[in-house]
Amino acid sequence: MQAVILAAGEGRRLRPLTKNRPKALIPVANNPIIDYPIQALLECGIRDIIAVVGYRKEHVIRHLNRCDAPIEVVEQKKQLGTGDALRCAAPQITEDFLVLPGDNIIDAPSISRIMAVQNSVLVKDHPYPSNFGVVMVDREGVSCIIEKPEHAPSFTVSTGIYHLTPDFLHYLTVNTLTDAINGMLADGGHLGVVQAGEWHDAVYPWDLLGLNRKVLRDISPIKSGSIDRTVVIRGPVRIGTGATIGPFTLITGPAIIGNDAEIGSHCRIGPFVSMGNRVRVEPFTLLDQALLMDDTAIGSHSRVTEAIIGEGSSFGDHTTVEPGIPLVEIEGTLMRGRFGCVAGDRVRVDPLCIFQGALVGNDVRIRGGKMITGPDAFQDGVMVV
Amino acid sequence: MCGIFGYTGGSQAAAIVLEGLRKLEYRGYDSFGIAARGESIQVGKKQGRIPEEGFDIKNLAGTAAIGHTRWATHGIPDDKNAHPHRDCTGKIAVVHNGIIENYALLKRGLVDRGHRFSSDTDTEIIAHLLEEVYKGDLLAAVQAVLPLIDGSYAILVLAEADPRIVAARSRSPLVVGIGDEAMFAASDMTPILEYTRRMIVLEDGDVACLTPAAVEIYQKGSRVRRNEEIVRWSSEDVRKGGFRHFMLKEIFDQPAVFSDAVRALRKEELPGIIREAGMVTIVACGTSYHAALIFKYLLEEQCRVAARVELASEFRYFPPPLEGLVIGISQSGETADTLMALELARLRGCPTLAIVNVVGSSLTRIADASLLMHAGPEISVAATKSFIAELAVFFHLVDIMKQGAWAHHLDSAHRAIEEALLLDLGPAVACCSQAKDIFFVGRGAFYPVALEGALKMKEISYIHAEGYAAGEIKHGPFALLSPETPVVAVCAPGETYGVMASNIREMKARGTPLILLGEKDDRDLQEIADVFIPLPSADTVSGLLSASVILQLLAYHTADALGKDIDRPRNLAKSVTVE
Repeated sequence: MQAVILAAGEGRRLRPLTKNRPKALIPVANNPIIDYPIQALLECGIRDIIAVVGYRKEHVIRHLNRCDAPIEVVEQKKQLGTGDALRCAAPQITEDFLVLPGDNIIDAPSISRIMAVQNSVLVKDHPYPSNFGVVMVDREGVSCIIEKPEHAPSFTVSTGIYHLTPDFLHYLTVNTLTDAINGMLADGGHLGVVQAGEWHDAVYPWDLLGLNRKVLRDISPIKSGSIDRTVVIRGPVRIGTGATIGPFTLITGPAIIGNDAEIGSHCRIGPFVSMGNRVRVEPFTLLDQALLMDDTAIGSHSRVTEAIIGEGSSFGDHTTVEPGIPLVEIEGTLMRGRFGCVAGDRVRVDPLCIFQGALVGNDVRIRGGKMITGPDAFQDGVMVV
Repeated sequence: MCGIFGYTGGSQAAAIVLEGLRKLEYRGYDSFGIAARGESIQVGKKQGRIPEEGFDIKNLAGTAAIGHTRWATHGIPDDKNAHPHRDCTGKIAVVHNGIIENYALLKRGLVDRGHRFSSDTDTEIIAHLLEEVYKGDLLAAVQAVLPLIDGSYAILVLAEADPRIVAARSRSPLVVGIGDEAMFAASDMTPILEYTRRMIVLEDGDVACLTPAAVEIYQKGSRVRRNEEIVRWSSEDVRKGGFRHFMLKEIFDQPAVFSDAVRALRKEELPGIIREAGMVTIVACGTSYHAALIFKYLLEEQCRVAARVELASEFRYFPPPLEGLVIGISQSGETADTLMALELARLRGCPTLAIVNVVGSSLTRIADASLLMHAGPEISVAATKSFIAELAVFFHLVDIMKQGAWAHHLDSAHRAIEEALLLDLGPAVACCSQAKDIFFVGRGAFYPVALEGALKMKEISYIHAEGYAAGEIKHGPFALLSPETPVVAVCAPGETYGVMASNIREMKARGTPLILLGEKDDRDLQEIADVFIPLPSADTVSGLLSASVILQLLAYHTADALGKDIDRPRNLAKSVTVE
């Protein structure tokens, strides 16, 4: 069996995080999201994997090259939709295949279940079905899929994972995969339903905190690096090679600390914290439910909760990040979400700033002593003085 | 600078050798050929590159074979000059990388003795010389012939009635790979990595006898032991993956290359000769020469150590009065001119340091000490990641001499490279791809960056490009500026900014299209530039790295827009192992 992973789209609703990388490359528990579907496929014995890339393709290819299994890459020149993306891979498809989004998290048991049912879709009940394709099911199987309806008639949504046959490729005359599926159904085709186990998607940037929590629950502890003997570690904690943890720091798992990270003395880390490679945390700082990407730095005496911080950003001493529930406009829709801050790459923040439910763009510079809430600093490259 | 590859083992050898030659194509691609030993010696060879399919190896049966991919030096690239070459009887086949200097003399002798030559190459004489002394023991024959030959060579020899492959080297690279009931020999490790990581790097004068089960190595007629090395490079590193070109892959590898190199260097003990150096001379060629020039600026400005950079090819024949440390730098560690230059320095009694990317390469053998640049295998003919790795080595040395004052710059520098990779160079590429001539200018340490940018541009896009120190433009090249000659100027903040900006305005007055690399928020530059490219970072280290990477990308995308064969630019080969 073959598998086609769709990783060409940007995921604009996750801006500012997707400015410099597609959604599939956003790290969750220190692995880009795309690693989870790939891992699930490999666990189920699928070796013939094709990835469709487009947005920031070089970065995706560079990452795929580092995977254990060789993955064939095809390019979607213009991001017209998931159906078009699959069409780009069509010349490579010779047998039954799975198609799956590269920016969702899926577990191996779900994959092995759908492998057993030809012409089927993997579905899951979701409390907010309007963000997804809602699956209408009758006695025969799926009757149709309604993409992002305002008023959803059912809670059953499509995970975007399908088990299809090469015959299906004839229906790829439209740009979205859902339309192609509906075309097949209208033509009298059959589509079975398979229930998913663990499937998670981040629709809005703050959803990544939840995704991070779910993935962290399953980590196994590994301790490398140099850890001071006074450090207290509770629960499952992974510490990467070359990392150093200063005296009297308390780490509560689940938490993951990347390679060559440096954590000062008297810090309190966790639970549910992911820290990328070379992250630096100065002494006396508290981190709780945070996703820090590679090369970020947090100053001393800071308190950072429910934060997502992009690569290479640095926050000064005495930073406070605390949850708020701001109203923000995302791709034209007003939304509310609960989070401390979502900051893009290379944000530089001087000491003594407070963030509450703040969306901060890439390359933003914030002078000391500012209070940032909601979309105050959402524009890329602005300077807040 | 050809590539040779030999295999003996349990499988059909020709197919394995053909695959191996593909990986060596960066060393030369004028023609290729394979000789396989079955019932007799069969040879297949062809002018041009190895085709994806359609080269028939069916008649090349046998479990031992040697192959060659050529970069012509003696004789034009055509079918008859392609290796392997055979003797008059067709029972001995030879492939050879290098140059035989006394070949004309030897050839006259052979012709007088009645040998018939079927090619214009220097290599063919080896086959005929072997024919004269071969009495059933190929090893003895090779050992008898080698003393007659002057020059550089790495050779592989097959003979009809002898079950072995005999390999020999002198001043040309050759490694042996030890597989499972299979033995390999190749110009470098890349084609062997797929099968084994156990390697032996042969030394000058070594003659090796390969059978599937064992390798025996002789030096001056007596058996010697050579240490086996386990190579850490993986075969994934030499795979293009999903990238369209090796060059693009290697450009995108650079953030990791830089930070890995810095980390690896910090773990190594620095050879004492560097700390004690009062005066430093660096010999190098091509891209390495430009990296060395950057080092010179930094060493003199930051560390107050006098430095001199010499082109290895000139230094050899016109060596200046020498004192102090002499550094030779070469990605492959096999660049002939750099080898000779360092050898000369050693004979003059100077302490020598080699900076190379390939473990155990020739340059490390003649130098007193060596540093590894940790770039991983570089396949693209146009050097990119080895340049960045060379800079990592040099920045590290400056950091040491400045007692760690640059440590935090080095820690964050990979981010600047990463940022440079995100830039959209579309407008600049559009401007360059229509030009016939492009000028690259910079000042201070950015002058060599401009030289390197110009080198990359001409190497792969075939557009005439010149690098100049901005102040020199007025001493001649100014006459060439016109609305048809874009100027790419690196105008980083710093001491030279003011005078650089006024140079740029003068060029602008000639109607020259300006592509400016400058600080992100520089409004002045943005206003006069036709295309403005923001430099991601302010400190020297990040500025040099990101400007270099941007110019690499500019060359790549320009060449790509013009449809050039980026990984195999015409007339060029990866390592220049002849003078």
